[in-house]
Amino acid sequence: MKLEFLAPQTLQDAVTMAKARGDAARFIAGGTDLVIQARKSGTWPEAVINLQQIPDLGEIKGSGQNFSLGSLVTHRQIEREGRFAGALEALRESACVIGGHQVRNVATVGGNLCNASPAADMVPILLCLNAEVALAGSEGRRVVPLASFIEGPRKTKRAHDEVMTEIAFSAPAQKFASAFLKGGRRRAMEISIVAMAGVVSVSRDGKLTDVRLAMGAAGPKAIRLTEVEKFLEGKALSKDVLEETGRLAAAAASPIDDVRASASFRRHLAGVYARRVVELSWNRISEVGNDRSAA
Amino acid sequence: MNSPFRIIGKSFPRLDARGKVSGKAIYGTDFAMQGMLHGKLVHSPIASGEIISVDTSRAMAMPGVYEVVTAKDIPAQRYGSFVKDMEVFASGRVNFIGQPVAAVVARTAEEAEAAAKAVKVEYREQAAVFTTEDAVKADAPLVHPDWQEYKAVPTVKRQGNITNQARLVLGDVDKALKESYRVFTHRFVTNVVHPGYTEPRAAIAHWADGSQLHVWSNTQLPFEAQATLAEIFKITPSQVRVNVTVIGGGFGGKLRLGVEHYAAAAALKAGRPVKFVSSCEEEMTSALPRQPLTIDLTTGVTKDGKILAKAASILVDTGATSGSGVGVASSVMLMLAGPYKIPNLRLESRSVYTNKTPTGSFRAPAGPQGNFAVESQMDIIADALGIDPLEFRLRNIVREGDLAPNGQKLESVSLEECLLKAADAIGWKDRRPEPGRGKGIACAWWTTTSGSSGVYVKVGPDGQVFLNTGCAEIGTAALTGAAQVLAEALGIELGSIQIVSGDTASTPFDFGAQGSRTAFAVGNACIDAVGKLHQRMKEIAAKQFSAKAEEIEIDGGAAKFGDKLLPLKEIAAIAQTSQGGLIAHGTFIAPPTLHDKERTENMVITAINSPSFHAHAVDLSVDAETGEVKIHDYVVVQDVGRAINPTYIEGQIEGGVVQGIGQALSEEIVYENGIVRNAGLTDYKMPTAMDAPNIRSFIVESPSKVGPYGAKGVGEPPVIHPPATIANAIASAVSARVQTLPITAEKIVRTLTEVSETAK
Repeated sequence: MKLEFLAPQTLQDAVTMAKARGDAARFIAGGTDLVIQARKSGTWPEAVINLQQIPDLGEIKGSGQNFSLGSLVTHRQIEREGRFAGALEALRESACVIGGHQVRNVATVGGNLCNASPAADMVPILLCLNAEVALAGSEGRRVVPLASFIEGPRKTKRAHDEVMTEIAFSAPAQKFASAFLKGGRRRAMEISIVAMAGVVSVSRDGKLTDVRLAMGAAGPKAIRLTEVEKFLEGKALSKDVLEETGRLAAAAASPIDDVRASASFRRHLAGVYARRVVELSWNRISEVGNDRSAA
Repeated sequence: MNSPFRIIGKSFPRLDARGKVSGKAIYGTDFAMQGMLHGKLVHSPIASGEIISVDTSRAMAMPGVYEVVTAKDIPAQRYGSFVKDMEVFASGRVNFIGQPVAAVVARTAEEAEAAAKAVKVEYREQAAVFTTEDAVKADAPLVHPDWQEYKAVPTVKRQGNITNQARLVLGDVDKALKESYRVFTHRFVTNVVHPGYTEPRAAIAHWADGSQLHVWSNTQLPFEAQATLAEIFKITPSQVRVNVTVIGGGFGGKLRLGVEHYAAAAALKAGRPVKFVSSCEEEMTSALPRQPLTIDLTTGVTKDGKILAKAASILVDTGATSGSGVGVASSVMLMLAGPYKIPNLRLESRSVYTNKTPTGSFRAPAGPQGNFAVESQMDIIADALGIDPLEFRLRNIVREGDLAPNGQKLESVSLEECLLKAADAIGWKDRRPEPGRGKGIACAWWTTTSGSSGVYVKVGPDGQVFLNTGCAEIGTAALTGAAQVLAEALGIELGSIQIVSGDTASTPFDFGAQGSRTAFAVGNACIDAVGKLHQRMKEIAAKQFSAKAEEIEIDGGAAKFGDKLLPLKEIAAIAQTSQGGLIAHGTFIAPPTLHDKERTENMVITAINSPSFHAHAVDLSVDAETGEVKIHDYVVVQDVGRAINPTYIEGQIEGGVVQGIGQALSEEIVYENGIVRNAGLTDYKMPTAMDAPNIRSFIVESPSKVGPYGAKGVGEPPVIHPPATIANAIASAVSARVQTLPITAEKIVRTLTEVSETAK
């Protein structure tokens, strides 16, 4: 087996190399999906273009409301990012359940999104944060909302010569909290059978507002649960409201039966986790220190 | 407490630690030879059918390819432990998906793999059978239509897909069940689990002069590999030399041939050394996983909780070959009866072929499966009678001098102590400390496998001692344990011992690293060698001191005459210059365990040798909505007879518990029409470090009469109890009694839903 290994020093070079080689080349960052898929299928690309030496792709930037994650930011970086402690805790919670320690040390957030697994754990919370991804290719730079970037299982809007450079998002303006939960058979190296992320805010009169809920692994791609979000808007949290949240979330799931879990169990868990994520975020509101509306 | 021992009972670092932690140890997958080629297998894509043709022409034309090897290139010869139903490459027909049909030999493993895909095999597909319930039906398709032509040991009673029908009978079960206050019948079903060794099976074979086969492999049993390879290639055992490399774990999965026979067949045809390493997918589809069992268990009890009778019907799914499943079908009956005093027994088991992966001898074969059934049912019965499960066990367990179900007299029985200590450590009095939280307990006995052991103990002129054994070190540190026995008996320091092991040409025979026997049997052979060395030392010293041999005393590592001392190394130096060195051949064979042969029919395993006793207890919480299980505390109390090296005993306990937790909660090779649906470590869920709970080990020492310094077998027992212990705790925590393994979150939630719907 011959494998050409390319290590461009600039973004431009990476794009040029990819364009020249067409589909025969693949970008590689952490390699935790690419290498496993190649070994499993027995089909290796003719060339891999290593993105690790391109400057500036590995930083988390921003403060306050606006943040950007370089596409080469590792899950370990996100897991340990102090700026995400508190209101944006769900980012850390999502990152810290991906793979195991060794995987998180090298696997990147850009890779997690470009691989477009329906069970990608970073996707639900980034959907809640209305993240946008920046792509740089031979046709120039463009920005695409994450929700439309991922089109289906292993399918994205990225052209083969486009490098994802960053993932940008804005946190809600008012006081908010977030949470992430996933179901699986073990506590590491586990592909989610259902993943649920939520961001909630509370109005001055103690009602839920700007609720954002996203679910992964329960359909061909992670989705925002807009029906549930609409239902929760303006409601005070109660047992009945939570039960309805679970019912609506379960109804919104379109899971498959596979060796990991049955569709009916995934749907059941979708309901449980939706309820718990909303409740957990609500309970966290009082703990987080981002109360700008009071200022 | 003052120990009478210098070396025994102390946690010395293992003798092979340095090589392993520094990365210098040469494992089977590391091993390489000059001019070596690589082999890859061609597997059957169908579960049952005839082979019409094998076309190797396209593969032979591929880059780097030297040879394609098929059944035609080697003698037609079937082999196997109890029934000779295995063949190296499928010849006339295939019996499972993944069965090797041919092998490609090429310059690199990648080239061999690419060419393996180009070997074209034409099949005529036939009806297959995937469950034991279907396979025992009169009109079931035969997995081996030619079964009558196969040779088998005389003990087994075969018929069609059934490779043995065995029984264990005592008293009058029908009468006892009629007289019982209550009778309970349940079905328990266990899972197919892989031994999960870190290093895949690997071997390199080379033929010198076309007639001398030399194999290097990570086998647990070099002498069995030697014998089987000789049988396959129709040569004498002495024409085969097997060297054991460092082994990355075995757990019974490397007892039988792994890839040695493919390497040998390929090397024979290629005329060059050939290396085979199993891929992860091959491990999951065509290695030797644990047999899944279906156990229908009936128990009759008195009102005050005395067991009057047990009846069982057991189906052992051995997959496409019988392998050690015939043994499992026997030993599971010893597990199902015990460790309780039961006056009436009628246990019947059948080992059965199906068109699935051949199974093997995973750590404590039959142990976890049988224990899951018997110990789950103990709790169900206790709850139904309103008796505490611990108390129910204490009313029925065997005690010193009792007879086991096979009629053997039990000695050194420590079961009550194990149960009480486990209950105490887990806080049994507070069995349900909060909603969703519960505790479980289970107990068992286990055998210490017999078989003969030989060692050469050689003393150098510098006092260094070589322990030369045919037994392999499979990672347990059991040979360090044997060396501790040797050091203790010979009166030397452990650091003076070097181990030479696992070479069929230069090391004496050993029955091998299996069945919890290594430290036990090799240790005893060392003690025998020391007796012989002491005699030699006395003779040499007597000459030196002009005394009689019987006047010489052995004191520590020296010979003593009056106040004169002759140290071991000086004796060895004298021996080296005068009589070819100081060396002894120590041997051991366990005395037969006497039992009542009237009770057993067609059983290939009938006794529990030097039985060990143990109890496990767990404290866990169950999330009733998600089915998630969180283990807070896990306690093991194990009677090891004598703890030779407590650290490595704890290592065996902790590793076994984690392996058992995998079998209990997450691991299963999932089949659909004979196809493995999770043939990789992404979806075959072994516990990770994050899943391993806090495990507390308590060692009980109730010495055996046979083992070195009283030791009993240690390695297998810890994997036996976790499924039952955890199942009992889950039932205690959330009233979900799951009777099939693994107990997944999904099954817990489903069971709870069924329970609540029944209650409506």
